[in-house]
Order: sequence, then structure tokens, then C-alpha cells
Amino acid sequence: MSIAPGDLPRVTSWTEGLASPPEVVTSRVMGSDAQPSLLTPFAVEMQPSASLTSLRFDGTLASSISVPIMPPKLKVLSYSFGITGAWRNQIPKAPVDAQQPPAILPPPATSDAAAKVRTRIQPPGEVIKLADRLFYVLQPSLEAMIGDSALQFPAHPFPYQFEGIAFLYPRYSAILADEMGLGKTMQAITAVRLLLHAGEAERVLLVCPKPLVTNWQREFAHWAPELPVTAIEGDAGRRRWQWQQTDMPVKIANYEALARDREVISDLGLEFDLVVLDEAQRIKNRSSATSQSVRGLTRKRSWALTGTPVENSPQDLVGIFEFLAPGYLKDEMKPRKMGRAVADYVLRRTKDKVLTDLPPKMFRDAEIELSPAQRISYELAEKEGVVQLTQMGDEVTIQHVFELVLRLKQICNFDPATGDSAKFERLAADLDEVAASGRKALVFSQWVGSLETMAGKLKHLHPLLYHGGVAPKHRDDILDQFKRDKKHNVLLLSYGAGGVGLNLQFSEYVFLFDRWWNPAVEDQAVNRAHRIGAAGPVTVTRFIATGTIEQRIDQILREKREIFDSIFSDVEPTGKSGLTQSEIFGLFKLRSPSGPIEVAA
Amino acid sequence: MTRAEGTTPGHLGFLTVLEHEQLGLVGGYLILNAAGRPLEFHCTAPVKPNRAQQILFGPTLPAYLYGEQIGQTLLGKGSQTPVAVFTDVERVLTVRDFVELPVALVLPGEVPEGEQSKPIVASANNWRVEAPNCLGSHLAQFVAGRNRLAVSASRSADRDTILGRLEEIAAFDLAEPFERIREAVEEAQKGGRVDQAA
Repeated sequence: MSIAPGDLPRVTSWTEGLASPPEVVTSRVMGSDAQPSLLTPFAVEMQPSASLTSLRFDGTLASSISVPIMPPKLKVLSYSFGITGAWRNQIPKAPVDAQQPPAILPPPATSDAAAKVRTRIQPPGEVIKLADRLFYVLQPSLEAMIGDSALQFPAHPFPYQFEGIAFLYPRYSAILADEMGLGKTMQAITAVRLLLHAGEAERVLLVCPKPLVTNWQREFAHWAPELPVTAIEGDAGRRRWQWQQTDMPVKIANYEALARDREVISDLGLEFDLVVLDEAQRIKNRSSATSQSVRGLTRKRSWALTGTPVENSPQDLVGIFEFLAPGYLKDEMKPRKMGRAVADYVLRRTKDKVLTDLPPKMFRDAEIELSPAQRISYELAEKEGVVQLTQMGDEVTIQHVFELVLRLKQICNFDPATGDSAKFERLAADLDEVAASGRKALVFSQWVGSLETMAGKLKHLHPLLYHGGVAPKHRDDILDQFKRDKKHNVLLLSYGAGGVGLNLQFSEYVFLFDRWWNPAVEDQAVNRAHRIGAAGPVTVTRFIATGTIEQRIDQILREKREIFDSIFSDVEPTGKSGLTQSEIFGLFKLRSPSGPIEVAA
Repeated sequence: MTRAEGTTPGHLGFLTVLEHEQLGLVGGYLILNAAGRPLEFHCTAPVKPNRAQQILFGPTLPAYLYGEQIGQTLLGKGSQTPVAVFTDVERVLTVRDFVELPVALVLPGEVPEGEQSKPIVASANNWRVEAPNCLGSHLAQFVAGRNRLAVSASRSADRDTILGRLEEIAAFDLAEPFERIREAVEEAQKGGRVDQAA
């Protein structure tokens, strides 16, 4: 409401004796057609004198209140999201028929509560720009994406797998460190698939150990059948041609090929939207050619998959982070501080936490007394070895100590003089029982020689061998044979070739004939059988020759597990951990210079 | 008024107004494609009516703020025109007086599977109206696919328009995008505070 300038009270005057002195001066409001009103009366006092009195009513005397009612301009933040790839033209053929499942519906769940679970993508801390953060916040739930008719899924992922996909999808640097057997492969493939379909990535490189290339190809065909995938392999010319292919959004290369082709990749100026490293513990040694070759790749996103981000020491994790975010972690950081620093970058779940339905894994330590012949050979070798090491004085190196350790461990397996083996006798008895019940067993050893000796003695069980000496082209056939042919009850594997990436969950028994240097590798081996799809409980038998180097190593392995816990859980380290040079020398009560040991992997 | 022409098949708009105890009202508008992926997002700065507005607008203030001031402004910002706009706040329906787009209220609770087909099979002229005491006689409720919807009784043609685009919306859980808008507004508020702090 306001009084316009033209509507101000006018100046009024009169002389005493005039017929009709003014009583009220009116003011019009809001428009020329307003009628005079009594809203603002002005009373004029009449003076007794006859003199002329003039009163001025100017605007300052009028009391008015102005209330703006025009709407203020509203500030609006606006964001547009470019949709590329398959999504742009995608209009789901939503059936009107209620009998058919709609495209966006989540897959059937076992309960109403489960049906309403929605896994949303949360932007990580490393995504700074608000527009980018909103892009992820505004995405539909993963259940909705996966329920989309355009993306066929052979199986419904577990809820924790949705969380893993939601973790990877928005991240530019990430480690998926799930325990072996939880489906890291599937989670990574699905995250890659969603990125490709959303147009957020167009060139993806997956790097894995050579024996796992075919496994990854198989898994891509299973979980993302529409994605063109090529494996980089063959001679140099062929590989160069494969690197240049532009119609293959997903390329798979093994670590060795990548190291060999460093210059080719550089010459071609190849850039990737995403590089995924499988078994990323391979790059823990920063000075290795493998580490340097992957770090040299030009890329936007860097993901690492490993069930064992820390095998020996926290420095392993620093090595992996040199690929993800160079310089972010320092060698001198305390494990717990390191754990806090990587919290937003690492997702680690264990089976006991997320797979409550997975059959149990039972460990039994088979402590075996060496046979008399083995004991003689063992003690002789140890005595001679220690004497030799002592005589070497300051020239003794960690390598010399390892040679002695390996020799003693071999004697614990089989006596080189007589072929005796107390461990094998126990193993053979157990395997007969396994075979009699129609089950299948995996037997791991560090040495191909031990595996071949066992194969020779177990012919009645038709064992199959899987180790580094088996040609890669035959390996899949061996696994297939073991899975399908009932007469093959035993698969003899080396830790190196059989410890990673294989799905052998139809095996219910695992025997660790000798012990590896670090528990992570043993876990990898055990989890070939104890993983999703395991039909029943998995029994793991760890052979330990009592009163030998194996028992002493076992103690160190237990301590090494504590390092892992101190970084990836809230468990405080309960004691000294890590395999130091002093401890290795200490296996034989030898004096040593201090410092970390780097060859114990 | 926002135009109805040139709507993009499969694109749906979701408009809501959030009440914040301290900040006031914040509007959010999300446009999704047929696959449920975000195309555009617009949100307002917080709006808090002053005392004068409260006195002068009286009981018409909520409709003014939700529909005219926030709703109309946000819909006007969209560069793409959806086939329909959905809201989960009844007061936002008043935006319909300022736009030429069908606007429907998404009611809580999904339609049981067995009942989904009934209103779909029925023609657009034979839709079900719930008991007036549910929402008030000024609203008409109907079922579209798995969703319960309502339009202003005075805008009954909107119901026909929406049912005419049933293939595009039947598959959607129309209540779900509002969850995204709420999270996005929270994120934007956080981002704004960070920016101010910086």
C-alpha cells in the first residue's frame, strides 16, 4: 500500500466567517479512481482570532507504510548431466501387462524388507566439485540400474556386492580388498560395465597375472556379455595391433606383456579412462619393472583389486598407493595412522562378516613327527648349515640363510636319501578317505618336485597337476577335468600357479603340505575352495613338522597376521609383528645386522 | 507459463519442496530419462517468508510459496520438458496454475501387484476415485502402474494425460526420485557452506 506523489494531502486554507470551513482533508490511495475515505483524517483547529491562518500539509506529515509485495528473485542452482552411450536413446519397453516385471523394478527379493533395500552411490571425498558430487548422488540405486532391462545379469548380486560396486563406481582411486572368494571380479566387471554404459569411460585396461587372463575373459563373458573384450597376447606385432584397436572398450593384459610393451604404449600415446590391476600386490615393490610399467600408464581412474593389500609390511600398501595416488602414503606412517588415511580409498570385507550363509572353514594343524630317517637327514643338514653360515662370518647374507631354510623344508617334505615322508603318509591316508567319500581335495606345495613325487605315489587317486611347468593352454583343461571327472579326486597345485584367481569351490578339502612365507598367500590358496558357491564346509589341514624350521616359521606367520589387522581393523597389534632380517637369522640363532628383509615374499 | 509442447518421451519431472527448521523452504526439481538417470537438477536457495508476507498472504501463503514462487521458478529453469511432473508435497500441486504440464501428487505406498492392472485396464474415462475423506474432495486419486497418484480435482484432464503416457511411467517407482532430491539438496547445502567457509 502506498500514497502516490500526486495523492499527497493538498494545502488547504480558509478565512473565519466563510460559509463552510473544511472539516476533513482526505487523501486518496492507490489509484486515481479511489474514492475519498476517512482513512487519514486531518482535524484543523479553528483559531478565535480573525487573522488568516494557513496550514501546509506536505508529504512529511502524512504517515504511510510501504510493504513490497513483488516476489523477490529466487536464486536457483542448476546442473545438467550429459548422458552418453547406451543410455541416451534407451527407452525401456515397459510392459503395461502387470504380469511382466517392469524394467526399473529391483529383482525379486526374499522379503519385503530386502526388496526395499536400495544401494545408492555416494560420492567419495576425492570428488570435490559440487556438480560432480550431485551427479553421483542423483543416480538411481544400483538395484534399479541392474534391474534395467538393457543390462542382463546372470545372477542377482549379494547386498555386499552392490556396496562394492557402489564403492568403485564413483572413485578415481580405489582398492577393493575383499577377502578372497567374495567376488571381487564380478564387482569390478559390473562397475566397469556401468561406467561404460553411462559413457563415463570408453577405454578400460585390466592388468592381471598371465594365468588369469582367460579367467577374466570368461568372467567378462559371463557378467557383461555385451562388452567387447580383447586380450593382449601373441608376438610383438600382434600386440601392437591389439593395443591400437579402438573398437574394444576393454583390453586385458598380463603384467609381463605390459612391462614388455611399455614403449609401444608410450609411442602410441595410449590413454585410458580406467586401469584396473588384479592381484595388485604384484606392484608392492616400487622399484620393480611391473610397478613402473603400470605407474607409467596415462589414466583417469586407478583401481586395484587384491585380497592381500598387506602381505609382509605396511610398505606393501604404500607400494600399491604409488599407483593410486603417488605420495599419499609414506613409509614411516604408523599402521593405525595409515589405516585412517586409506579409509576412504579401501573397501575390505571378510567372509565371516558378509557371507553368513557361507559354509564354515575349519583349520586343523597336523603336527607331524619326522620319520627317523628324515630326522637324521634334517639334523645333519641343519647342523652343517649352521656351521657353514657361522664360518662365513660377515659375508653371510640373507640369501644364504634362505637357502638353508629351503633345504630343511624340503627334507621335512621328503627325505632326499630315502624318500621317507611322515607328512605324506598322513596325507595319503587322508586323501584315501576323501576319495572314498567322493569328495575332492586340493594339495598345495611350494615345490614342483614334491608335487610330482606325490603324484607318482597317488596314482590310484588319478591326481592332476597344476603348476608353473604346465603350459598355460592346458591349464583350463586340467581344471575342467578336475571339476567334471569324478575319478580325479586330487588336484596338486603349486602356490605360485594355483594360489590365485581359480574357482575351485567344489573342493571341500585343502591340504597345505608345506608352509609359504606369508599368511596371505596361504589364505589365497585356501580360498580357492572356500568361496561363493562352496557346497559344504571346507576343511584345511596345515602340515607342520614338529621340532623343525616349519614350526618356527609358523610362529612368525601368526605374528604377520597382526600387521594386517592393525591396518584393516580396529584390533590393536598385540605384539611385535613383521618378518625382520634379525628374525630370519634368529631362526638359527645367528647374529645379524638389523633392517627389514625384502626377499621374504 | 511453461509450455507443454516439445515434451521428450520418457522424461519425467520430480518437484518437491523441503522444509528446513532454520533455513526455511528449499525447492528441488529433477528431470530423469526413461532409464531413471538424471538429466537436470535445479534447486532453490532457502526461502523464508517475512512477517509482512505472512500477514498479507494469510492462508494463501503456502500455496504462493510452494506453487508460484518455488514451483513455477524451478519448472521454468528446466531446459527439457518432461511428459509430466510429479510431487510428493500436496501444496506443490498449486504450481499447476502456472504451467501447462500435468502435475500429479505421488501418494505413499505402492499398489499391490494384484491391483496394479485394474485401473490400467480401465479406460482413462473410468478411473477410480478414492473416498473423499482420504485427501479431501479437492483431490482425485487414481492408480498408474505401481503408483498411487492424485491430481487436483479441478485439473481432471491431467489424469487422462498421465494415463495416456502410462507406458512411460508404469515401470517407475515414482516415489524413489524424491529420496535422491533430498540427498542432493543436502549435498548442495553442504557444498554451499563449504564454499562460504572458503
